[in-house]
Amino acid sequence: MGQLLINGLGTGLIVALPSIALSLSFGILKFPNFAIGAMLTTAAYIAWSLNIHAGLPLLAAGALCIILFPMVALLCDAAVFRPLRSRGPVTLLVASMGLSFVLDNVCRLIFGNDARNFDIALSRPYRVWGLRINYELLVSAGVSIGAMILVFLILKHTSIGRAMRAVADNPNLAAARGIDAKRVIAATWILAGVLIAASGVLIGMDRAIDPQLGWNYIIVCFAAAILGGLGNPAGAVFGALLLGVVGELATLVVATNYRSGVGFLVIALVLLSRPNGLFGTREIVK
Amino acid sequence: MPGVVTVSDLRTGYGGDDIINGVSFDVHPGEILTIVGPNGSGKSTLIKSLAGIVPARQGTISLFGENVTALKTPQRIAKGLAYVPQEFNVFRNMTIAENLKLSTEFLGLRSHDGNQERTRVLEMFPDIADRQDLLAGNLSGGQRQMLAFACALISSPEVLLLDEPSAGLSPKLVIEIFEKVKAVNELGTTIVMVEQNVAASLPFSDRAIVLVNGAIRHESSAAELSARGDLHELFLKEA
Amino acid sequence: MIAYLTTIMTLVSIAVLIAFALNVQWGMCGMVNFGLAGFVALGAYTTALISLNGGGFFVSVFAAIIVCAVMGAIVSLISMRLSEDYLAVVTLGFGEIIRLVTLNEGWLTGGALGLPGIPRPMIDVIGTDHYEVFFLGICVVIVGIVFAGLEIATRGPFGRSLRAVRDDDLVASSLGKNVLLLRVKAFAVGGGITGIAGSLQAFQFSYIDPSQFTAIMTAYAFMAVIAGGQGSHRGLILGACSVMFLLEATRFLKDVVDVLDNSQIAAIRLILIGAGLILLLIFRPQGLLREYRLKAPKSSPSSADSTAT
Repeated sequence: MGQLLINGLGTGLIVALPSIALSLSFGILKFPNFAIGAMLTTAAYIAWSLNIHAGLPLLAAGALCIILFPMVALLCDAAVFRPLRSRGPVTLLVASMGLSFVLDNVCRLIFGNDARNFDIALSRPYRVWGLRINYELLVSAGVSIGAMILVFLILKHTSIGRAMRAVADNPNLAAARGIDAKRVIAATWILAGVLIAASGVLIGMDRAIDPQLGWNYIIVCFAAAILGGLGNPAGAVFGALLLGVVGELATLVVATNYRSGVGFLVIALVLLSRPNGLFGTREIVK
Repeated sequence: MPGVVTVSDLRTGYGGDDIINGVSFDVHPGEILTIVGPNGSGKSTLIKSLAGIVPARQGTISLFGENVTALKTPQRIAKGLAYVPQEFNVFRNMTIAENLKLSTEFLGLRSHDGNQERTRVLEMFPDIADRQDLLAGNLSGGQRQMLAFACALISSPEVLLLDEPSAGLSPKLVIEIFEKVKAVNELGTTIVMVEQNVAASLPFSDRAIVLVNGAIRHESSAAELSARGDLHELFLKEA
Repeated sequence: MIAYLTTIMTLVSIAVLIAFALNVQWGMCGMVNFGLAGFVALGAYTTALISLNGGGFFVSVFAAIIVCAVMGAIVSLISMRLSEDYLAVVTLGFGEIIRLVTLNEGWLTGGALGLPGIPRPMIDVIGTDHYEVFFLGICVVIVGIVFAGLEIATRGPFGRSLRAVRDDDLVASSLGKNVLLLRVKAFAVGGGITGIAGSLQAFQFSYIDPSQFTAIMTAYAFMAVIAGGQGSHRGLILGACSVMFLLEATRFLKDVVDVLDNSQIAAIRLILIGAGLILLLIFRPQGLLREYRLKAPKSSPSSADSTAT
């Protein structure tokens, strides 16, 4: 039971990062980015080739990936989303699905279908009060928590962070006040890119890297973001942790294969009972 | 003497049809000019066009003799204009302090200068000055309007555009808001406002324009318009 | 070559049906369905299970229609009060659940191996020699029936209300509850059509397994609807055909460039699908892609302004 709780929190922390990215970009760009999974895959492969082909230690490869990947995100925005910006959320979300196909299969084309692993030494898990705690779990928890603190400091205490929140809050007023939307959008993709890159690397450490990597996380990321109220990054963290734990505990009752189904079930229940997320106030009801 | 704002033959609108059909007027320095008119007369579109939010399709808008028709909102703000939208005019999920900070940051003020500006403006709005950590969404309608004014005044604008400042407020608050508008005006800011509430706004105004169907029906001093008994006829769609 | 063309045409017919379904849901009503493949799978498995247990052609197709229509109604009900974004997520999740069930419930679905030996309708009468052509005939007739049905329906009261909703937000909101009911209906109708498509898929291959129902199937339908023009059934048939033929053509890439292996060819095809989807959205919006949204007027009067660009 305690072990499940720890595993669940570990998974939750990793999922929290892309969920924040999803929630943040939904709040500011006003469309759900279905390419989030493919972006995770892409980031993991970038780190993997830096690690294996360029021979960098994983820490350096991961750090470089965190710097490089936001540029990929900006490029995707310039090529796909910017030309469609005025067309409304439905067009953008369909386009994000198209982008997801492109990214996933560029990875498949270059790296093939085989599962890849980072060059890391296996380490014995620590034992605390009879609970197994992996070294990877500690690293990913540290990185996740660090990244989250960074994001919330940026959102709360920098001028670009405030501008981002202002655009998410009331885009018309932000425009009337003269807030530079282009700058805010770029900042959003950079921040989302950093979060996605970091979690792509962590997921790659947690399991093997293959072209399906990100696809397995789309639903749980959306579930976490919706649970926390789409557009509310702090809520997304809570949603991710809750889902991580629920997902692990659910293995006590249902087959492990259905773990990703639990996410869907949670979305359905939340949408039926609390359409704004557990503590959302945003008006999403038609 | 040239107007602070000069509008000549302005045409604008959304989508297919023009909503403003060739409007010309001057705003005199230091005055409160109130634009009134029936629902759908194009008042709101007109003031949005002055603010640079709805682009002009024809005609010119000048600020201190300089043609600003092609400029967007941020550039017009830099030239001394400020605009307070109708309702939804504060960031509700942000605190009072953050709302104000956004305004100073937009101007590119250093944190020290920003603090000074905020303190200066807040002196005029004691109601909100002592609860800066409150979320703007939790404020009352009147306080939100005050905060919106304060945010607009951060840039020390010479011309302040107000879109229906009294919308959705109780009669008592309406008077308070107009008193505040007057106070801001007395400190030297020229004010152009659009108002639905003719009776309450005219006593605080210097001049008035009646806009009907996107065209100026009447222009006079506010006192003269108040004195006319045929306001209803003026507001009718067909002249 | 004839056999190959017959097969392709049959697959195009099935793709056209799926695109019809998406067109009712997305093209006419603005509701995104990312779980199309799941619906088709549901139809295919329903048909397969019934015909493997002795049900006839009509019984099994009819059952697939009912099951998928009911499921469509339920899925849209979950997000009935919410915006399209949420429906997209819910349908994606639904597709995933169907995939998990088909993969893991071996006792029912045969798991990854799937269900073999689905009896093809009237094969003992027609014989195997010309069966493919006969089956193509069945598919074409069904496409024709669905096409006619949709054309009539969109000209009747159902289509009128859809158009009212799509052309004028205010009318939509004044219809109030009817708009919500309309969404559920449109989703159920679309669901029913995917059920037919699933049935035909099952009969065409005479075995089904989870790998036949992937996101590619969904992407095809989106491309066909965008290429053919949202809302137009005739344009859509054309769209589905051109998309299918273009993508089939990439199969011959292998003969031209022999350095690529099969999985790389598959990847290239999928890249083309994704890129094609994006390019169509960007470059062929007018007439081909109008966005019909079911949205109540926003509470802010200033929302007519453009939002952040």
